[in-house]
Amino acid sequence: MTSELHGAGLIRAEHLTRHFKIGGALSRRTLHAVDDVNFTIGEREIVALAGESGSGKSTIARVLARIYPPTAGEVFFEGKPLAAMKSRAERLRYSGLVPMVFQDPFASINPVFRVSHGVLRSLKLHRPSLSEAQRQEETARVFEVVGLNPDMPQRFPYELSGGQRQRVGFAQALAMRPKLILADEPVSMLDVSIRIGLLNLMAKLRDDEGVSILYITHDIASARYVADRLIVMYAGQIAETGPIEDVLAHPRHPYTQLLLSAVPDPRAPLSVAAETDRGEPPRVIDPTPGCRFRWRCPLAIDTCAQVTPSLVELRPDHSAACHVAQNSSEEVKAFTA
Amino acid sequence: MSDAPVLEVSGLSVDYILDRGDVRAVDDVSFTVSRGEFLGIVGESGCGKSTLLFAVAQLLAPPAEVAAGSVTFGGTNLVGLTDGQLSAIRWRDMSVVMQSAMNALNPVKTIGAQFKDVMRAHGKVPDRDIAARSAEVLRMVGIDPEHLRSYPHQLSGGMRQRSMIAMALLFTPDLVIMDEPTSALDVVAQRSLMVQIKELQLAFGFAVIFVTHDMSLISHFSDRLMVMYAGQVDELGATRAVFDRPLHPYTQGLLEAFPSIRGPRVPLKGIPGNPPDLARVPSGCRFHPRCPYAVDKCAEVEPGLYPLDEALVRCLRREDGSLVS
Repeated sequence: MTSELHGAGLIRAEHLTRHFKIGGALSRRTLHAVDDVNFTIGEREIVALAGESGSGKSTIARVLARIYPPTAGEVFFEGKPLAAMKSRAERLRYSGLVPMVFQDPFASINPVFRVSHGVLRSLKLHRPSLSEAQRQEETARVFEVVGLNPDMPQRFPYELSGGQRQRVGFAQALAMRPKLILADEPVSMLDVSIRIGLLNLMAKLRDDEGVSILYITHDIASARYVADRLIVMYAGQIAETGPIEDVLAHPRHPYTQLLLSAVPDPRAPLSVAAETDRGEPPRVIDPTPGCRFRWRCPLAIDTCAQVTPSLVELRPDHSAACHVAQNSSEEVKAFTA
Repeated sequence: MSDAPVLEVSGLSVDYILDRGDVRAVDDVSFTVSRGEFLGIVGESGCGKSTLLFAVAQLLAPPAEVAAGSVTFGGTNLVGLTDGQLSAIRWRDMSVVMQSAMNALNPVKTIGAQFKDVMRAHGKVPDRDIAARSAEVLRMVGIDPEHLRSYPHQLSGGMRQRSMIAMALLFTPDLVIMDEPTSALDVVAQRSLMVQIKELQLAFGFAVIFVTHDMSLISHFSDRLMVMYAGQVDELGATRAVFDRPLHPYTQGLLEAFPSIRGPRVPLKGIPGNPPDLARVPSGCRFHPRCPYAVDKCAEVEPGLYPLDEALVRCLRREDGSLVS
């Protein structure tokens, strides 16, 4: 796939699959949250992972964070499989190098401690060689990097706004000298006027601190603003992936086209009449072969109901999993913005 | 559109009566909604938009109370009416769609039973008409009437929101108030719901007040747009004009805070600082600490809402003409 272009890649998922058993003890039904997903995240790059709720975005982040083990497939970090990291030291090192920033800034910081608490604790745990004075120094440094005033570490969470709290979340991640930050909808709960500041911070962490970020979002416009590459998920599978500008300019998968046509854009000319889709998100409980988007797809052909499409490179470094797109030389539009 | 407005809000102020002192969440807000009009109200969290909407629907509960002003709906001032008097108006003439259908629908009752509750509580409708009307409104929002027998958890998020809208339309109301009905949905479901609301509105001619924090969402759907900041109206004008030529620096900032999926990728700044605490609003213009155009008098003189180019704007520098776009 794209691994050659991004060196060996910082992190690589191969045939990553995560299923959940649902229903009672006797139930044999399985929810396919993530099915056979391959991707690479290189150094110093922001990869946006987009898709509707239930498409498996957060499950991928949780597998990468080792909250869930994969059902099948493997994740390689710096070339080494995660499953092979068995000792406490190895696991600790990994969770420091690949920290997570959560969606809800009001639930993810302990309210009874000063905001520096989380940073100091992770420094103690992940960088034990630092002295007390060095820890204080490092705390001041990471708070400054994320754009918080020097008096912030001494405040309590209730004194902070949502945007400030989310910066604290990034400061905590940054204290561990991460290689890759898993950011699950980090700005979706913030007010519009504050969001841009956080997105700018993510770009700054990439450019100045050399951190890669997996940016999980359903907001394509914000993804375009910060990300280098885009992965579009649909029903647990990758529908399309490639350099973000190329995917937005030449979306080949009908779902990507639908997603782009739905993005509200005040700068676009006035039109209420654009075609919309009344379809419902798919059920991924015990799915049968075939394309999972076919019920909503105006272009679906017989093959789509029988063969699950795989990702094929259609433009340089840009792949889509769609039978119709793969069999036509020019770009086919199912939905237009 | 006929001349008499459906709703006329005049000088409305709402206070939260707290031990540490009263907090004015809505400060002297006036606006009208014409028959069949779509009014968008935007603002950040804590700007008073939801409180305003609750005050209009007379759903405020202590510690919040209307401190001044009137809400005239269909010729009657709703402020001070008893629950019994309001009951004759609610659902029949004015209905509300809440933000989270997950919380607003009763999880242990079927959709059909909840529709029946509403129709029984607010009108004398025979049972077979209730069933027929319930099926009809569900069909109007694109849901199979089969789902009258479904429980909320059996529906997707988009279907739950649509059934809430169907419930709001049980009695053909003149005004439907919507508090961020799409915020829990992903963009595709959001877009399809917005189109549906607009289609229903055009077909049945009810007026809509649509509250949201996401300006871009209503850019193509609302007739007029009201921008709120720190409990006050900052700008009120035709939607297209507000987007093309925002007058208030805050509106400008909000518009510039949206990245676009089209056109060149440009760096954006957003608005520095945070929205103020309503218990400690800044002196003078409430936006001046965050405003790139603020001059000395902005910190001292409290601006009014000035008419300019067929819009209203609360900005001293627009009023004296020293700020031109």
